[in-house]
Amino acid sequence: MYNLVMKDLKLGINPWFLVFPFFINALMLVPGWIYFILPLYFCWITVPNMLGGFRSQNDLIFTTMMPVTKKDIVKARVTVIGIMELLHLATAMIYGIFTLYLYPNLTYYFFAPHMGFWGLCFVMLAIFNLVLIPMYYKTAYKYGGAMVASITATILFAGIAQWVGIQSPFVSDIFNGSGADNTLLQLSILIAGIVIFVACTIIAYRIAVKRFMKVEIL
Amino acid sequence: MLAMDIRNLNKKYPNFELKDVSFQLEKGYIMGFIGANGAGKTTTIKSILNMIHIDGGEVHILGKNIAEHEIELKQEIGYAFGGSDFYTRSKLKTLTDVVKKFYTNWNDETYRSYLRRFKLDENKKIAELSTGMKVKYSLALALSHGAKLLVLDEPTSGLDPVARVDLLEIFQELVLDGEISILFSTHITSDLEKCADFITFIDNGQIIASAEKHGFMESYRLLSGSESQLEQVKEHLISYKINSFGFTGLIHAKDFDPSSDIKAATPSLEEIMIYYAKKVDAHV
Repeated sequence: MYNLVMKDLKLGINPWFLVFPFFINALMLVPGWIYFILPLYFCWITVPNMLGGFRSQNDLIFTTMMPVTKKDIVKARVTVIGIMELLHLATAMIYGIFTLYLYPNLTYYFFAPHMGFWGLCFVMLAIFNLVLIPMYYKTAYKYGGAMVASITATILFAGIAQWVGIQSPFVSDIFNGSGADNTLLQLSILIAGIVIFVACTIIAYRIAVKRFMKVEIL
Repeated sequence: MLAMDIRNLNKKYPNFELKDVSFQLEKGYIMGFIGANGAGKTTTIKSILNMIHIDGGEVHILGKNIAEHEIELKQEIGYAFGGSDFYTRSKLKTLTDVVKKFYTNWNDETYRSYLRRFKLDENKKIAELSTGMKVKYSLALALSHGAKLLVLDEPTSGLDPVARVDLLEIFQELVLDGEISILFSTHITSDLEKCADFITFIDNGQIIASAEKHGFMESYRLLSGSESQLEQVKEHLISYKINSFGFTGLIHAKDFDPSSDIKAATPSLEEIMIYYAKKVDAHV
């Protein structure tokens, strides 16, 4: 499994995508922006490029010829997607801390980058994984349909969450108002988000393994 | 001991079917796996390697069932798939560093010696290698992890005659000590006449014959005679063609009476393949 993860990181993924989060997430420094877009950049840019790279390099045949199980092939790939997601969110969070210090008196219309907001981002990526990974492993190389479905689902989630965050005074208070200073509340939302992310990714992995077992490597 | 024992492999596709494919390869020999394009060579190889799901049959490699011991056996199988390229923009060095981690018996010294022997430059990218060099690189990888069975799918296709002969000589050297066995699929039959010990011939998803090379060729006769002579043997011929001098046709040696005055010769592998292909055409 470890060898497969390293194979993806060394061979499969262009190093640019390991550096990319440090550049794109600098947009966190834009005051009062709609920060939900930043994790979405991962879904829009990094993932299709990664999956396209694997496909064009015949990664599937290359990997199947190695002494590895089909289960480990999926486990490693899901781990790699998870690592990339964590890298993306972690860098965004670091920039977010700077944003909070740089503009302490800003009135946020959209969600402010407090811990609770990052909890929502984890939920968003959880939905992304839950849709993308099982759909992708129907063939393990076609990713167009899986991308459209997973991106639509994440945008819907982000759109609805942000709309509720603006329309509902209760939700707005939790994320941008007095709730933002309640560390315990913020931390619990973040932890809940992480738990949902891990749970959905594990479910996605299990469905993907079942589907990949039936895939014929042509 | 059998390096490979394939029994009653069946696989059905909407437009193609592998039917009861069975053959055995003794350890330490080269088996040529021949058949026209689309005859089922690659499908058989992919079934053997558990890459596609078979509908029925069993595959034993080095005495073990691949369905049960896939990971263990893949440590001992080396591949060269002509025509499939992986990570072509990476350097050999980078690819090797990744690949070697997967194999418990990887030997760096062996790898270095094959790089020298095959004149492979580690700093070159896969895309910079010629077709023959790519096959040699696959061989170097396979031999460095101690592969006992080499499965080569069309390794000599697209190579010039010099590179082909060079590779064939390497294959022959590899099996010399009796440890390594090679299954070698190709449609370039002359390669097999030079180096194979056994021939397995697949046509339209079915094994026509699997036998020692000379025995296999001797089991057929290529007849040529006048059109009137054709009538004597027509119903036993596998297929035939008529030309201005009469006919030429392929027949099983057992169906041919040697005392007949029809001219008979031992066919080449290519001729056997061509006449079988004609037989299929005739039925279409």
